[in-house]
Amino acid sequence: MTTAIEVRNLSYRYPDGREALRDVSFTVAEGECVGLIGPNGAGKSTLLLHLNGILPDGPAPVRIFGETGLAARRRAVGLLFQDPDDQLFCPTILEDVAFGPDQLGLGREVVREALAQVGLTGFESRSPHHLSHGEKRRVCLAGVLACRPRVLALDEPTSDLDPRGRRELKSFLRELPVTKLIATHDLEMVVELCGRTILLDRGQIIRDGPTLELLNDEELMMAHGLERPHILRHWHPH
Amino acid sequence: MHIPDGFLDVKTAVGAGVVAAAGVGWALRQARRQLPAQKVPLLGVAAAFIFAAQMLNFPVAGGTSGHLIGAVLAAVLLGPAAAVVVMTAVLVVQCFLFQDGGVSALGANIFNMAVLAPVIGCGIYRLARPVGRIAAAAFAGWCSTVVAAISCAGQLALSGTVAWGVAFPAMTGVHMLIGIGEGLITALVLAAVWKARPELLNQPAAPAGGLAVAGLVVALGLALFVAPFACSWPDGLEKVAEHLGFDAKAAKTPLLASPVPDYELPGIGSPVVATALAGVLGTVVVFGLSLLLARSLAANKES
Amino acid sequence: MHHDFLDRYSRLDTPLHRAAAGVKLVGALAIVGLTVAAPLAAVAYFVAVLIGLLAAARWARIPWRYLGWRLLWLEPFVLGVAFLTLFQPGGHRVFAGIMIKSTLCLLTMVLLANTTPFAELLRVLRQLRVPALLVTTLALLYRYLFVLVDEAERMHRARVCRTFDRRRAAVWRNLGTVIGQLFVRSTERAERIYAAMLARGWK
Repeated sequence: MTTAIEVRNLSYRYPDGREALRDVSFTVAEGECVGLIGPNGAGKSTLLLHLNGILPDGPAPVRIFGETGLAARRRAVGLLFQDPDDQLFCPTILEDVAFGPDQLGLGREVVREALAQVGLTGFESRSPHHLSHGEKRRVCLAGVLACRPRVLALDEPTSDLDPRGRRELKSFLRELPVTKLIATHDLEMVVELCGRTILLDRGQIIRDGPTLELLNDEELMMAHGLERPHILRHWHPH
Repeated sequence: MHIPDGFLDVKTAVGAGVVAAAGVGWALRQARRQLPAQKVPLLGVAAAFIFAAQMLNFPVAGGTSGHLIGAVLAAVLLGPAAAVVVMTAVLVVQCFLFQDGGVSALGANIFNMAVLAPVIGCGIYRLARPVGRIAAAAFAGWCSTVVAAISCAGQLALSGTVAWGVAFPAMTGVHMLIGIGEGLITALVLAAVWKARPELLNQPAAPAGGLAVAGLVVALGLALFVAPFACSWPDGLEKVAEHLGFDAKAAKTPLLASPVPDYELPGIGSPVVATALAGVLGTVVVFGLSLLLARSLAANKES
Repeated sequence: MHHDFLDRYSRLDTPLHRAAAGVKLVGALAIVGLTVAAPLAAVAYFVAVLIGLLAAARWARIPWRYLGWRLLWLEPFVLGVAFLTLFQPGGHRVFAGIMIKSTLCLLTMVLLANTTPFAELLRVLRQLRVPALLVTTLALLYRYLFVLVDEAERMHRARVCRTFDRRRAAVWRNLGTVIGQLFVRSTERAERIYAAMLARGWK
């Protein structure tokens, strides 16, 4: 099994001196779907920003499919931001989704495919400020998918979505064969999609293991600002 | 102060366009050289910020409200070159999307509000900064508004649309009042930014050579639009001398022929001169007010 | 804020809408240029332009009521300055000329805005080799204009909810604080946008 993501002893301090990550180490195999959970301020978003080199490496560089170079990592990792307004920065949908592919020389076909994948064909000439929150999220996803990433890093993908939006996104992610690392508060989604979960608190990895085992540990969850999801209270493994 | 289409004749519009292009060209080159890649999106977002800030209503009296222009605010927070780019973008969008300001007057509007105002404002801010940042910014805000109004008046007069004798007092007079609001709002906003993130007020000093080019463009524009009418001032002074009883000593013919007939008002002589004198007095008064304002805002911060 | 009242009809599908943005831009600029340069005596020209613009509006299926409403909204600013033209010999002619010219030009630009999405105008600018820094700034300005306006509104509303001082000074101070906050948030948002641009390969 190829290692998709390899992080070794990653530490990071914010510019104002606060510690964000302390000695974080983990690996993700190709095709795995890993949930990244933890209370607010645990450092989940910061960790994701290290994968494609937006934040600088620690003593040991982050490896994505063995590569440490920034260009290669940026190509391989598709990062979905928490606020779609931060990520949707072009005047039209088409331009925004094509932003990445145009720079990678991938042509416009991938753009059309990506829009079709997220169900937004026909939205090409629309302006972002006319879209609903869920539609903006989908455009961001299309923009990331159009770059054909091998790893998908998502930061709170279901926050602010209505139940239908959440259902659609979950089933969409389930079908997607790429390696996934999902930072989220949506513990139900973690149970449904992620075989493995990493619990992060105050910049450190507290536990890294099978989802059911981790999330069922009520004491552990409560100790780190979370809780055992309701879906597990009535879980019937088949 | 957005001049609509049809108010400027072809020669003024073209002349202003040339000067504006020079100013914006300078700013773009400066910005590209000085701006780290990280700050490029900031220009766009700052332009949106200025735009949004301009839309907020500051209640004045009755149903009227004042609005921020933001040239000096931009210059203090982003530096002069970036401010020029940002204000230009705002004016372009206002012209094409909102039809606020004519497209044939775009050159003039850009020169007045996007080149003259931020550059003059920045220059005055830097000169007055030792007195106190907030005070300097408030004062610079007032000055930039008034200077932009004078330039606008010059453009209208040069086009034969409005007589200089009417445009200058009207525009300058009104904007000496509006400028107070501008200075006030600039001070309030900077004080708020200072409270939240003081490091944002530390702009790296632009190389002196850079600002000199901008100064040249500004001087050229003012020479085009305002200088022709400065000739009429000696004539106006003449009239004031008459009123005050010095006419025995004064020459009977004016030093320079006035290109535009002045409007006569009893008791004051030329309103052009009256406005100019008021301007000088106003400058001193506003400077003093700016100091007081800054002190009161600083006191608020302490409490 | 209503996000579409400025270019509500810019995405209709008529021959005029489908025409190339560059052509429409040049056409609009030509009409404005000619109108500004035309002597007041050229009444035939003005009438022809008016008829042409109204016909174009019809062709582009833009309701006349909307045009009228837009003009009505913009005219007061024109009138304010035009008023000053009266204070000179021959001022009436100048005033009439200005009102006619500025109205025709306004009509032209409103039509342009409602037949050409702003993004296409940007594309034309890019093709004309306008410096990239300016075009990017314009694009981001257009994109985030309404986002920031909404944000400013929300912040102001939130502040007003907890402000019990009705005096004007308090309102000014609140607005100043809101604008200051808006700038701070804008710089932080700009950093996130930069990260998003980097994440998709921008150099």
